[in-house]
Amino acid sequence: MNPRRIRDNIWAVGTIDWDRRLFDDLIPLPEGTSYNSYLLKGSEKTALIDGVDPAVEQVLLDNLRSLGVEKLDYIISNHAEQDHSGAIPAVLEAWPESMVVTNPRCAGMLTDHLHLPEERFILKDDGETLSLGDWTLQFFLAPFVHWPETQFTWLTEEKILFTGDFLGSHQATSDLFVRDEAGTLFGAKRYYAEIMMPYRKKFPKYLDRIDGLAPEIIATTHGPIYDRPASILEAYREWSSDEVKNEAVVAYVSMHDTTAKMAGHLINALIDRGVRVKVHNLTGVDVGELAIDLVDAATVVWASPIVGVGPHPNAAYAAFLANVLKPKVKYTAVIGSYGWGGKMVEQLLGLLKNLKVEVLDPVMVKGFPREEDFASLDGLADTIAGKHRAEGLL
Amino acid sequence: MHKWICMACDYIYDPEAGDPDSGIPPGTPFEDIPADWICPNCGVGKDLFEPYG
Ligand SMILES: [Fe+2]
Ligand SMILES: [Fe+2]
Ligand SMILES: [Zn+2]
Repeated sequence: MNPRRIRDNIWAVGTIDWDRRLFDDLIPLPEGTSYNSYLLKGSEKTALIDGVDPAVEQVLLDNLRSLGVEKLDYIISNHAEQDHSGAIPAVLEAWPESMVVTNPRCAGMLTDHLHLPEERFILKDDGETLSLGDWTLQFFLAPFVHWPETQFTWLTEEKILFTGDFLGSHQATSDLFVRDEAGTLFGAKRYYAEIMMPYRKKFPKYLDRIDGLAPEIIATTHGPIYDRPASILEAYREWSSDEVKNEAVVAYVSMHDTTAKMAGHLINALIDRGVRVKVHNLTGVDVGELAIDLVDAATVVWASPIVGVGPHPNAAYAAFLANVLKPKVKYTAVIGSYGWGGKMVEQLLGLLKNLKVEVLDPVMVKGFPREEDFASLDGLADTIAGKHRAEGLL
Repeated sequence: MHKWICMACDYIYDPEAGDPDSGIPPGTPFEDIPADWICPNCGVGKDLFEPYG
């Protein structure tokens, strides 16, 4: 990607990764992603905000050279993770006078991960500033979006906020600014669900701080730039709030179609009662989409056969992942079929200790479900609909 | 005495209660907890706690 002008003397110099299909070796990226980096040419000093993934660092270096950057004064690091910091060593080498500007915790993590020399750092704490001549940068600590060292950088005079991963979107697009808003928001939800959701309780405070700044532009490290930031801020407000929706995720896996029949019956019963259902077959599931559906759901039902004496490993994997992501889901239940016995219910629920959920009665069936078993699934659907109604969701 | 919250997992250290399972008796201010203490919920160090409330 060639440099693209955002405003006078402000450039996007990062890269678009059209081909990337998996992030963190975990979350599929059907729309690719980007690693954004920004160049600010102040009247006195030139600063780079964040780097790119080391695999594409040459693009960043070429972009800086093509913009005639002879002297680079500062590399602002908002986040020490390698997809944004990995190119910093190459930039430090190419511009030997440049200094990394960041908060002490981030400096420590950059040193841990990239072995950067101590003498290349300028440390700035919360609220401190850095002059580029006609422009002033101000730094705000925002820990755990999504690592402990994360911060925002505020270009005061231009009202541009650089938020690192926060509000970012997994979307490779030729649009410099968001023009496919629905696509960007979906990519942002994928990103939020995988890495931001566990820390959501801190976000209202950060969103308040951003509202106070009233940025005209929000430039993140992934996805297009928000030149109308209201909608992404509103989306983060909603996702990170404690409000759930009238949605039940039914995550199922089945070996001989027995558990699938039970899940299917429950899904229909929930739909009949007015509950929106998000269905995921855990075999070959896009875990990013599962995570997206966990963002808003009031209820999650786990449907698995007993394999040996425990849950199907695909169900255990999904439950383990949900426990890491800590969605705000309020109710959960386990259903499934077994041949001779086992402790699947206890084991699956044991994987969900981080979730603040009310556990609804399980429906476990020996063999293929009989009429009374389907009636029990109807009963579970009644219970779920009743809970949603009591929450005012239905 | 001030409460402290784990930034990684939202566990709240209440000095009134201490953390007896990790050998921190009730009534121990956060500042007096040994430096090698870790969050009993998620395992991160004292440096990732911040004052709460
Ligand atoms: Fe990150
Ligand atoms: Fe990132
Ligand atoms: Zn913790």
